[in-house]
Amino acid sequence: MERKKPILSSLLSLIVPGLGQMYVGQLARGAVLLLAIALTSLLIHWRESNFLFIGIILAWLWGVWDAYSLARGRPMSLLPPFLIIGVIVYIIGWHVTDINLVGLVTDVADIKPLVSDLVQPAVLERDIETQEAEIIFESPCSDSPPDKGTPLEDEPYLIILDKTCGEVGETFTIEGGNFWPSSRGQIWWLNMAGEMKRRIRQEGEYLNFETDEEGRILPLTIVAPVPFGEARGKGPQRSRVQALLKREVGALHLSRTFFLVVDKMMETIFLALMATTVAILFAVPVSFLAARNLMGGNPITMGVYYLTRTVLNILRSIEPLIMAIVFVVWVGLGPFAGVLALAVHSVAALGKLYSEAVESIDPGPIEAITATGANRLQTIVYAVIPQIVPPYVAFTVYRWDVNVRMSTIIGFVGGGGIGYLLQQWIRLLMYEEAGAAVWAIAIVVWALDYTSAVIRERIV
Amino acid sequence: MLQVEHLTKIYEDGTLALDKVSFEVPDGEFLVILGLSGAGKSTLLRCINRLIEPTAGRIIWDGTDITAASGEELRRIRRHIGFIFQEFNLVERSSVLTNVLSGRLGYVNPWQSIIRFPREEVKRAMGNLERVDIADLASKRADELSGGQRQRVGIARALMQEPRLMLADEPVASLDPVLAHSILRYLEQLNREDGITVLCSLHFLDLVRRYASHVVGLKDGRVVFQGRPDEITDQRFKEIYGQEAEQITVT
Repeated sequence: MERKKPILSSLLSLIVPGLGQMYVGQLARGAVLLLAIALTSLLIHWRESNFLFIGIILAWLWGVWDAYSLARGRPMSLLPPFLIIGVIVYIIGWHVTDINLVGLVTDVADIKPLVSDLVQPAVLERDIETQEAEIIFESPCSDSPPDKGTPLEDEPYLIILDKTCGEVGETFTIEGGNFWPSSRGQIWWLNMAGEMKRRIRQEGEYLNFETDEEGRILPLTIVAPVPFGEARGKGPQRSRVQALLKREVGALHLSRTFFLVVDKMMETIFLALMATTVAILFAVPVSFLAARNLMGGNPITMGVYYLTRTVLNILRSIEPLIMAIVFVVWVGLGPFAGVLALAVHSVAALGKLYSEAVESIDPGPIEAITATGANRLQTIVYAVIPQIVPPYVAFTVYRWDVNVRMSTIIGFVGGGGIGYLLQQWIRLLMYEEAGAAVWAIAIVVWALDYTSAVIRERIV
Repeated sequence: MLQVEHLTKIYEDGTLALDKVSFEVPDGEFLVILGLSGAGKSTLLRCINRLIEPTAGRIIWDGTDITAASGEELRRIRRHIGFIFQEFNLVERSSVLTNVLSGRLGYVNPWQSIIRFPREEVKRAMGNLERVDIADLASKRADELSGGQRQRVGIARALMQEPRLMLADEPVASLDPVLAHSILRYLEQLNREDGITVLCSLHFLDLVRRYASHVVGLKDGRVVFQGRPDEITDQRFKEIYGQEAEQITVT
């Protein structure tokens, strides 16, 4: 055997990594080294983390040494250069994904309110009772400003102590009585018709008050807000100042949120049911076309087999979430879009599972039925179907279970069901309500998972 | 009369399973095909009703060329040829009655058979179950039965075809020796009483001597013996089974 020159080999490796290894006949070794160093260099260039090139140089030099040793017939381990490359890849990975362990620890307090809302979902509530009184303020002043009001005997009332009109930003003082004692209340600002209102804010905070033991509102100074509506800035306009108290009364009962969640959860379950059923109707015939043992007879059926398999694989590789977006554009927001998206995906998934069940059946009965002079259809009905019903049922139940889980996510992009509600509540920061939805999903998914496991165990 | 002429089968992987096999079976014969596992017995039987496509050669049955038939004609030929399998090949999850009825599929209207069988076919099935003495098991599922009972279901299924020729591929190889005789006695009865020609592969010589009227010995896909069972001498036996073979007696 001819001895290769070690110096030449290492020189080649110095010019191009791996070239020396190729020169001494280790083609794969050289190619892998070259490819690894080239790809890692591209990665470093992409991230512009140039200090990492030190690692590349080390790996490169190791390759030179390796080429020299190889030429003298003593190969070295390639573990060190690949360890270096591995470290580089993970350093880049750390940066790309913005891993921040410090933040993970220091910001843990931020999720406390969220978690506490999630663990006490808005399932139960009490009725709310309100108490209110109003007084009128005018801005700016007209010739006949509204009166200051008079204290009433037994009903809650408000009066204005100083002036009942003024420019926006001027202050006035109110006082009231006959409210629930020692209760917190809010001050609201309404137009005269009462259809527009907002809570009054002062210095960024909502204006609140607390009644004393006799139910009085002690003098409270208000900065006159801007009146509502069209007439603003076109002469004097009157607004209503309202003191509002709320308290919970009566026993706990199921909340409106609870019924909304139940309603949407049922929609979700039915969405999954319809999608699964539609999928069965298509997947059963398709599965026969995608079963090798039934289609292996001649080139034409084999062609159909490969075509069906390819279409199924393509459909299966499209995420249901993306299909949902397509169908939302097509048929509009709502559960129908979700049904279509899940159905299409399920046809592909079930078609594959079903056809594998067909492929794993015992060929003996098929042989026996064929031998009796039965035609192809009769053979399928008498020899194939009895063997595939149990696995088909098991896969279908499992798929329904998967579809319920998926339809909660489908809702996030407008495909109907509870996901839609959950997504809205999360955006509105209504975490107690979102908590109720999360719990409902967890319970239903758990129950279905358990049921489908029991059914599958019984059948298979 | 069944004539097998130069029958050759080469599988896709190049295995030569049958090599120019030729023999004749007169009507009413109980022909046993004798040979080791892998000698080509199963392939030969399956070529006769075209469960396996022969590579070359012809099979002629009462003047009809089975090897040339296709489609509807092939199905009409098949329905007169019963087949009994070593592993029974019953549909395990279906009832015994349904398994037996499926033997009639070549006769009934295909569309009707998908819904249900006509009443007279159910009656025929019960009659055939009685013939193999398991009418009481009709409503059981096939997977609840013992091996011997299953093979009797297999015979009843083949009888539904009103066969003139019965092919049996190692019908007793999966059963213990006592059951072997009971199953073979049913075949003998069909052969004698109904005049059904039987082609049966076996590998125990004493069963062959007891039931066969004629024997074809196969070795490595070639016919190495043809004749009456009493003509199988020790020398002949070793030609079929190889030099190390010893005769084993089945009770």
